[in-house]
Amino acid sequence: MHDMNPSVKFIVITASMLVIAFFFNPWTPLIFWLGIILLQLTMSRTKWKLWLLFMLPFSIGAFGYLWTTIVFGAETGGAIIWSFAGIDVTEEQWARALSLAFRVMAFSTLSLLFAFTTDPVRFIMSLMQQLKLPPKLAYGVMVGYQFLPVMKDEFTQIQQAQRLRGAETKKYSWQQLLSMRRILIPMLAGAVRKAERSAFAMEARGFTGEPRSAFYHPIQIDRTDWLMSGIFLILLLTSCIGGSWLG
Amino acid sequence: MPEKVFSLTGLSFRFPEEEEKTLTDLSFSVLRGERLVLTGPSGCGKSTLLYLLNRLYPDNCDGLVDGEMELFGKPANDYVPGEINHRIATVFQDPDSQFCMPTVEEELAFTLENLQTPFAQMEPRITAVLERTGLAQLRNTIIQSLSGGTKQRVATACALIMDPEVLLLDEPLSHLDPFTAKQFVHWLEELQQASNLTIVAVEHRLDIWGSFFGREIQLGCDGRITADQNFTPRHPFTFLKRPSAAQPATALCAKELSVTIKDKPLLAPLAFSVRRGEVVIIAGPNGSGKSTLIKSLCGIFEKTTGTVESDRIGYVPQSPEYLFLTQSVQQEVAFSGASTQTELDGLMASLRLEEIREAHPFAVSHGQKRRVAIAAMLADKRPVLLMDEPTSGQDAAALLELFDLIDQRSKEGASFLIVTHDMEFAAGVADSLLLIKDGKMTGKFQAYEVWCNEELLAMHHLLAPKGVARPAESFA
Amino acid sequence: MLKSWKLKEAVLMSLFAVVFGIVYLLFVHVSNIWAAVIGPLAYEWMFGIWFIVSIICMYIIRKPGAAFLSETMAATIEVLIGNAVGPRLILSGVIQGLGAEAVFALTRYQHFNILVLMLAGIGSAVFSFVYGYFVSGYAALDPSFVALMFTIRVLSGAIIAGIGGKYIGDALLATGSLRGYAIARAKKGDVNA
Repeated sequence: MHDMNPSVKFIVITASMLVIAFFFNPWTPLIFWLGIILLQLTMSRTKWKLWLLFMLPFSIGAFGYLWTTIVFGAETGGAIIWSFAGIDVTEEQWARALSLAFRVMAFSTLSLLFAFTTDPVRFIMSLMQQLKLPPKLAYGVMVGYQFLPVMKDEFTQIQQAQRLRGAETKKYSWQQLLSMRRILIPMLAGAVRKAERSAFAMEARGFTGEPRSAFYHPIQIDRTDWLMSGIFLILLLTSCIGGSWLG
Repeated sequence: MPEKVFSLTGLSFRFPEEEEKTLTDLSFSVLRGERLVLTGPSGCGKSTLLYLLNRLYPDNCDGLVDGEMELFGKPANDYVPGEINHRIATVFQDPDSQFCMPTVEEELAFTLENLQTPFAQMEPRITAVLERTGLAQLRNTIIQSLSGGTKQRVATACALIMDPEVLLLDEPLSHLDPFTAKQFVHWLEELQQASNLTIVAVEHRLDIWGSFFGREIQLGCDGRITADQNFTPRHPFTFLKRPSAAQPATALCAKELSVTIKDKPLLAPLAFSVRRGEVVIIAGPNGSGKSTLIKSLCGIFEKTTGTVESDRIGYVPQSPEYLFLTQSVQQEVAFSGASTQTELDGLMASLRLEEIREAHPFAVSHGQKRRVAIAAMLADKRPVLLMDEPTSGQDAAALLELFDLIDQRSKEGASFLIVTHDMEFAAGVADSLLLIKDGKMTGKFQAYEVWCNEELLAMHHLLAPKGVARPAESFA
Repeated sequence: MLKSWKLKEAVLMSLFAVVFGIVYLLFVHVSNIWAAVIGPLAYEWMFGIWFIVSIICMYIIRKPGAAFLSETMAATIEVLIGNAVGPRLILSGVIQGLGAEAVFALTRYQHFNILVLMLAGIGSAVFSFVYGYFVSGYAALDPSFVALMFTIRVLSGAIIAGIGGKYIGDALLATGSLRGYAIARAKKGDVNA
């Protein structure tokens, strides 16, 4: 998984999601979800503790999805399987709710699979080399990525400095959103300055935004990519056909 | 007669947003192998001129150029974008915003890719430039983890890998402490001698360069050349020692103060006190805990142990704009509501903020921003002022202004704790020095005790201030 | 399209995306907790924070593509910094960006008043909703619930992204740091505001 070309992986994963989105039976996302976990178990070096930590909010989200779909689900026919607090749940609704919840789980797992097995820098370089992303944008993104820790630090520093002056932290989200301006303005003003300096430094070293003729770290598409794409396709077909048949 | 690298005839330049010309009627040429420095007051267009030489301007700002400029005997406009940049390389002032890749090797490769270098040549060229600059052991290091001085060396290596004929330097020392800056100049001098590069630099800290330059062009405030002469080495700007304004009363007293964050001890228990009107300089190597001390004193960091008894403490970060909450200088000073209108008017007058009363606090000069921050702190009745690196990146005029400000306020009873590496400044302003190393306080000393103690200075990476109780030494 | 772009403008979009990425992360934690209680509704109000990048960038840079490219870059950066939503975020970024871009294109990049900015926020909201309807399966939900979600998202787009975007853009202009960008020149009357 780690050796797969990031662009190919990106396309395969996005395409799988779009296909799965067509199915509303609970089995298709379930089979797909289990399949992805199996893939990750066998073909990646994942830190599972961290993985569980990341999965937690998604599981909560999936649960939220489950019950809202039951309560606010579209009117459907079919036998009522159980009632609760005056809400009748039909077989059809239950199936759909499960389907959406599993879908959230499947998509989240798939996303984590990508996040855990892809090096960010290789991903951008591959987008530029395989998918012809213009270098101006690719390196623009790289600069942003380099600045992330610096700016996070700046964010805390501004917050601390302003707290010292008695700009109290607000309790409600909407108040926080309004008071964000105070932090945002110095951050953005700093970003404008940094952007110009970085851009000048790059141009002073001959960067013009023209496509490049050779790369120091070429990122290739090789047999692994075909193999992995094949495995994904088989998994996708199995879950679509199997799911429809079971549903 | 060596070849002309640059040749300017009656060159003028204007930003589209402005009425006045930034540069007016410049005529001079630079010969191959020359070491030229451009000097002049802040805002006189030195950097703008440098950006015209490497063709970042006029395209990047849609500026308007008059007159003629030839690069290597060919009109500047005949070069396509990017063509000239591998012959004229540039190192900029901010070590933090010159890189776009994670590691040193990748950053060098980025430069080679820009030049359309064939794949087979990349690896040998990277190895060669790392050897030449003595950075071989940093090849796979993450750039953001390096110190400012090392980052500037990496930026220079990135410039040299292009095999340039000219190296432009845009205040490359301004974000480095004097100790590191001196090392950088020494390193650059060795490189220059080995390769006969033409060097054109913009610089205001001339003393650190020793006799590096051969020629100096001075620009005046109106963007005209006021002098074109042989370079003479400068002595650092020295400040007159101000008389101490310390009063007997204690303003701040810290006992057993220590800071541990996430099980990492950042500051070992320390104790000291500061009197009203006293000016204390906090100094020590990078990462020794100076900022941690300041932040724990003013309550940004939680104290792990100890107590601080003090008059109310104010804090001015290195970027004063981090403090600003409102949209005009006047509102900014009045924000806390702790002072009466008369007190506010008095402060505004004594800190010379009246003429910018209505201005946006972000839109004023750096020195003015700092005065606004100090006014806001004093208006909030915080007479103990902590300042984090206020001297970094400042020219002589700005330092003098800062000096006067501290002198003035301390006479009125304000106490200062100032983090700085600039020992000339410290020699003028300080009553005492608090030295820190590796998170431990070495001690709080009377200023004159430190200046004649070689061992203490070296241990804390400090350069002895010139002209204080010791003969001026020659440049190493 | 990119030929007329300066590198500093591209880098600016990227750094703005980082800033708002940090802000967004702050709020996403809050919403994650709500999500268990009120389901997907928890995220609806925040969509505006997402759209704001494209609106601010267009308001400042004023070149075709500014809304679309900035939103796409913002999503890409979000993926790089380890947002667990992962690759599909890039696709949503593309679609949201297109929504705002469409509105600006309709005005031929001549007008950047509050109304247009709010419409652009709504454009993002509508495009993203149609996409979400499909991918997240809103079809399975009760139409009135879907309508509620849609309304919240449109309001968030218009208010947080549209009004908020103009507010922040103007505040930033007042600091004097935007010299050399189209917005600063427009104020001087060279370009229609």
